[in-house]
Amino acid sequence: MRTPTETPRPWHSGAWSVWALAAAACVQLAPSPVYVALVIAVAWLVVEAHAADGPYRHAFPALLGLGVAFAFIRVLIAALTTHNGLEVWFTLPQTTVPDVLGGFTLGGTVEATVVLQSLASGFTIVGMMAVFGAFNAVASHYELVQSSPRAFHELGLITTVALAFVPATIESAHTASESDRARTGGLVVRRGRLLRTLVPVLERGMERAIALSESMDARGFGATPAARTDRVAGWFGLGALLALGGAFVALIGRASPTAAALGFVGAALLVAAVALASRADRRPRYRLRRMEGADWVLAAVSVLAPLALGLCSVAGADSLVWRASPLAWPSFDPLVALALAPLLAPLLRVPDPLWRRRTAIVAVFRRQNSGGVVA
Amino acid sequence: MTTAATLRRPRAHRTRPTLVYVLMLVLGAAAFLYPFWIPAEALPDAAHAGDAPLIAALVGGLVVVAVALEVRRGTMNGATVALLGVLAANAGLLRLLSLPGRGSGIFFLVILAGAAFGPRFGLLLGFSSMAVSAVITGGIGPWLPFQMLGLAAMGAGAGAVGLLTVHLTPRAEVLALAAAGWVFGLAYGALMNLWFWPFQRDGGALSWTPGMGLGTTLRHYWSFYVAQSFAWDAGVAIGNAVLILLTGAVILRTLRRFAHRLEPVVELDPLPEAPSRSHALRA
Amino acid sequence: MSAIGYRGVSYGYPDGPLALDGVDLDVHAGEILLVVGSSGSGKSTLLRAANGIVPHSTGGRFGGDVTVFGRSTRTHLPRELADVIGFVHQDPEAQFVVDRVEADVAFVLENLGHAPDAMRRRVEEVLDALGIAHLRDRNPATLSGGERQRGAIAGALAAAPSALVLDEPTSQLDPQGAESVLAAIARLNADLGTTVLLAEHRLERAAPLADRALVVDRGTVRYGPTAAGPALADYPGAPSVTRLGRLLGWDPPPLTVRDARRLAAEPGRAPMPTFAESEPSAPNPATGALATNEPARAAPGEVLVAARQVEVTLARTTVLRGVDLEVRRGEVVALLGRNGSGKTTLLRALAGLRTVDRGTVRPKAAVAYVPQDPNSLLFAPTVREEVAQTVRLLGRTDDGAVAAWIDALGLHDLASRHPRSLSGGERPRVAIAAVAVGGAPVLLLDEPTRGMDAASRHVLEGAAAGHATRGGAVVLATHDVELAARCATRAVVLADGEVVADGPARTVLGGSLFAPQVLRVLPPFLTVDEVDAAMERS
Repeated sequence: MRTPTETPRPWHSGAWSVWALAAAACVQLAPSPVYVALVIAVAWLVVEAHAADGPYRHAFPALLGLGVAFAFIRVLIAALTTHNGLEVWFTLPQTTVPDVLGGFTLGGTVEATVVLQSLASGFTIVGMMAVFGAFNAVASHYELVQSSPRAFHELGLITTVALAFVPATIESAHTASESDRARTGGLVVRRGRLLRTLVPVLERGMERAIALSESMDARGFGATPAARTDRVAGWFGLGALLALGGAFVALIGRASPTAAALGFVGAALLVAAVALASRADRRPRYRLRRMEGADWVLAAVSVLAPLALGLCSVAGADSLVWRASPLAWPSFDPLVALALAPLLAPLLRVPDPLWRRRTAIVAVFRRQNSGGVVA
Repeated sequence: MTTAATLRRPRAHRTRPTLVYVLMLVLGAAAFLYPFWIPAEALPDAAHAGDAPLIAALVGGLVVVAVALEVRRGTMNGATVALLGVLAANAGLLRLLSLPGRGSGIFFLVILAGAAFGPRFGLLLGFSSMAVSAVITGGIGPWLPFQMLGLAAMGAGAGAVGLLTVHLTPRAEVLALAAAGWVFGLAYGALMNLWFWPFQRDGGALSWTPGMGLGTTLRHYWSFYVAQSFAWDAGVAIGNAVLILLTGAVILRTLRRFAHRLEPVVELDPLPEAPSRSHALRA
Repeated sequence: MSAIGYRGVSYGYPDGPLALDGVDLDVHAGEILLVVGSSGSGKSTLLRAANGIVPHSTGGRFGGDVTVFGRSTRTHLPRELADVIGFVHQDPEAQFVVDRVEADVAFVLENLGHAPDAMRRRVEEVLDALGIAHLRDRNPATLSGGERQRGAIAGALAAAPSALVLDEPTSQLDPQGAESVLAAIARLNADLGTTVLLAEHRLERAAPLADRALVVDRGTVRYGPTAAGPALADYPGAPSVTRLGRLLGWDPPPLTVRDARRLAAEPGRAPMPTFAESEPSAPNPATGALATNEPARAAPGEVLVAARQVEVTLARTTVLRGVDLEVRRGEVVALLGRNGSGKTTLLRALAGLRTVDRGTVRPKAAVAYVPQDPNSLLFAPTVREEVAQTVRLLGRTDDGAVAAWIDALGLHDLASRHPRSLSGGERPRVAIAAVAVGGAPVLLLDEPTRGMDAASRHVLEGAAAGHATRGGAVVLATHDVELAARCATRAVVLADGEVVADGPARTVLGGSLFAPQVLRVLPPFLTVDEVDAAMERS
């Protein structure tokens, strides 16, 4: 019987990427705390439905926590350094930092508007983190690397080799640390311990890399001479960068339309370059999981959300952005909430709950936690 | 069929890659540093000012793609891929080791490996380590292109420094690299803060509004840096320097032992007319 | 027809001495050719020259010519030979490019540009041929060593090469894994006619598979290639039955217990030496080990470390259950058992590196544990420095212990070499010296002979016996029954976390599962040395 450790997930990782970008755009377009809270709720639902048990599942709460930490610090700094004199809550003793360090005033009045405004913008950061935390928890990184354009074949390979080596490196580190203890009869001698544990792990890794390189050479991997398409692609890439540079220069010169045009030209050249370089390598990939019709539909539906929000803002919906002064509760517009609804699309196809409990990654981590080799 | 008298990576066409790498640094920095130079008129009205960071991220992503393209498929042999993979795994895992001051071990390994193997390797290692680290820690997001570019620049910079210091005594080399590590750490921290700083538009002395002008922006950013980061980022910089001082000599020696596998030099003796059991070999 | 031909091949690593010096060799199509030689003899270099890794991936100076099915490695890079010759080496953890078995097996097919349908079919076929089809979705890090090596072989075979080169594929594996790998190789050769060039240290299992064998020494082919028996007869690392056959003058020397029994039972043979139970014997001057394992030979001394009712649980599985063990002065204890029976955990518990959940471990003297993987220990720039480091870490001054242990383990000539430049047989010895120099009376060695050649094993046996004679005690956790037979005074068998046998080595090893080869042919002799001593006496 085949015990699948990773049955194909319902959605392709490419579709997930589009979803994540759309959700992030929504957070940017509707930064009012009410709507950001909605997006965070959507992200949480998606994680609950789709995340497999394993080390990536905790990406969501981890990134969320990170966002909260950032936001907290921001609020603190803003409250302590911004003084507009309105709606003062309380006053702290103040000191002025010397000019060389910025010359701002620390302490002093702590104002409601400042605190609340920075809370709101901190909340958008939390929202962003929630979106990308969800993405990391539900998408298959392996699939992402595998689906990347053929032009980045070697870079993708470096990433897969690195990921393949991660468990071995962790185990190597455990063994090295234990061997160091064994050497001195169970005592931990702190002096020089860093070197004594780091060097064996590094050396072992390098030796394994050499062994792997021999295995790769023997299996047909190697440098190939540049085809003509590769060279053309290379010049396109350079052209793209020059166009982008030109766009920046145009921006400085306050010629926005030129800048936008150059920007598009740059992006187009880059896409062409990637396409050309990918075509130069005609070798097909093994069992590549392509984006199916359903995946494209999910991507399209996800993009509807930020587009709808854009329409709302053009139509003059006020509730999208919230300001702390004058002090008022953020308003809730059901139409805007409806515009966010397409982000719920991934919930339409949910994986088999039994699969979620069996993943190879769990097994690997369990093996690590069992204290290494059991023999 | 290829003749294999000597096999070194072709040295032709070095101008284009160099140009691309330079542009990468310039454009990456520009995209990153947009608060400092972008005039207010260039941005849409205040309601859409929030787009600027995402556009910056997009540009950063494009730069990453361009550099990745320049690396060009087909220029790496198995040893390069394998060594990069293993070192990226090690560096990526070291990032999980949180050291005091928000520092992490990923930097010092990239710096030392860049110094040992050269600027191109350092650049690629910076890229890959950050990407692998993002996958391991589940941290893929719009900040990733900048982190990749930042670490790539660090690796390339360390490679450049390494080209110079290889002529020094080991102790001097370690000191030079530790100093470089300190500078890189500070620069990296300062730049990474820029990702979040423009989000903060509270209108105070520490925040940014579009169109402030270069001088005001600098002053505001400096205040922000002092308040939030200096202690932490100094920690990164000092952490780098300390780690390099402690481990640099040994690790450089270890890494350099493998350098010859990246570009193997093969000498083939000519075949004799009649088979014989031994011939004199060129020393 | 010659599948792989070497003509006057000479090779030197960059900035290094000559590794191969004038090798002429013909590997016949469809045969299994066994390459045998001590560590550093040039075996690995010879194998890597077959597919061009030497010299194209390693660099260096290359003379002569190697042709593989008509293609010369002088003009073809390794990747251009990937469709005719596959390569597998000994490290099961360093052959996977992707963290999925199926995708890794397809790696070679992607590189060679096969069509997707063809790729799919080939991958299925080769997974079935190696019997790992049920592991296709797994992350290689979750597989056992034997499964990983079979995955590596599958990866090498996916492009249907006509030849397969394997550099010590079983040296890092336990006996079960080794069995599965060698059986797979034999099956491939029998069913597909794949030419196999195989290097091995542990010849008990590999030698019977070979059609021909050759011995490599210092970069040249010292003997062979001829039929395996005659080729290996004089080689110190030959299977015990082969050396026994050579000793007793059997011709051709047998490779398996079955052949040996047949030869022993043949009428007209000279009478076998008799085993004298009560005669004491002198220590063998070469190894310092005693040729018999008399229980009354040297009364074991006081207990140096005692474990009572030890129970250890790891990750919700009970690894050790109610284990009682005493280690006495002057003993060499062989700790035998399957993979997963708890040997390493028991050793770690005895050394105090692992706390026990129940029961007690009472050491009356210092206990030192030498880990399984010497690579996790070595970090210094020279061997001498590595050993001296331990002394320094313990805050003592070197009173000759460093030099003593370096000599005891035969490292004198290697003392100023970089430990990482040493071969697989020499590194464990450095690790043992580095730990033993701490002066602990009780030494726990965990699988020390993994990947070791015969010469190193010899040295190790002598060092262990010497340490025991000088008033210490040694516990060897091992799968190698022959090693246990040669140097252990006592044997303990662990199964499923419990001690199932504990007694004098001769008695325990006499039980069916762990019997050494000589015992199965000529009971009650355990080793070839015993037979030798008995013959000398008579």
